[in-house]
Amino acid sequence: MKRILNAGIRLFLLTAVFVASPLFAQKNKPAKIKAAALQVEMIQSDEIKLPAEFQVALYENLIRQLEKQGFSHVYRDGDRNAASVADLVVFHSTVRGFKAGSERARQVTTVSGATSITVHCQFTSPDGTSLLEQDVNGKVRFFGGNLKATYDFAKKAAHVANENFSTPGRVQ
Amino acid sequence: MTSRSTTVLVGVAWLLAGLAIPVANAQQVSGPLKVVQLTGLAGVKDKAKGTLDVENGQLHFVHGKTSSDVNASSIQDVVTGADSQRAVGGTIGIMSMAAPYGGGRVLSLFRTKIDTLTVQYRDADGGLHGAIFTMPVGTAEMIKKELVAQGAHTTPPGELTPAATSSTSPKKEQK
Repeated sequence: MKRILNAGIRLFLLTAVFVASPLFAQKNKPAKIKAAALQVEMIQSDEIKLPAEFQVALYENLIRQLEKQGFSHVYRDGDRNAASVADLVVFHSTVRGFKAGSERARQVTTVSGATSITVHCQFTSPDGTSLLEQDVNGKVRFFGGNLKATYDFAKKAAHVANENFSTPGRVQ
Repeated sequence: MTSRSTTVLVGVAWLLAGLAIPVANAQQVSGPLKVVQLTGLAGVKDKAKGTLDVENGQLHFVHGKTSSDVNASSIQDVVTGADSQRAVGGTIGIMSMAAPYGGGRVLSLFRTKIDTLTVQYRDADGGLHGAIFTMPVGTAEMIKKELVAQGAHTTPPGELTPAATSSTSPKKEQK
């Protein structure tokens, strides 16, 4: 009887540790940075030669995914309306790596021909102070055209923005 | 000797014909072109099929009952490129992947060449937009020339701008 009770207590403690650890982790998470609006700058690729369609697809997908994440005010590069917004966060992206891949190779071999893009994302205040920097990559391994990698990147980058910035009155 | 020179002449004739036909085809573009708008135009769904035309200083895209216009003078950069797509695509293309003995993979080898046209333009508030179109081979360069003639800006080949880093010359990608 005592053995069963001991085993029960041990099981309870073990379960409690597993359940409590994510809760503690959430408490340790840094607070979200307040952002009234986001302004997305055009994707830069000074070091890497990136085809124009990839550059445009990265930019357009990024804006769309940020809007999907609930950011109600997403301004485009050069939008004059962004100048008067307080707590504006500017999203700069620089391409650090690009592998064109091949859709044909993917479909024929399944294992080769992956397209991948690595983009350095930097969130700054309008005066240029860095708030957050992170590398985000986009990949297409099996199905879809090469441009699908830009969609993958945009989803991940919008998720990073969602995790780190809070917008007042945001649709969650 | 005569037969050899005849062969050479025939060969040269074929070569010249081969070079001339694509140019002739490209110059035959008149009226709206059948294109696919991959992404970027405001109010138009991704991968929307429609017609593209340049007239009265506007890039005019029509998809069903919806139409979208971009003022040529607001276009900051026009870039053409070369690409390819599956000859058998869509639902049939996906279903063919399940064909036995790799039959679907064989179908993937058959691809058709297409041109891509990428434009970057600014809206009334100064916001930068980008749109990507795919169209039949040899037609993107014609659209680009028409746009430039009607006031669109483009990056000279080899010159890099902060916003657009790619050159304007057609690029070939292995897809």
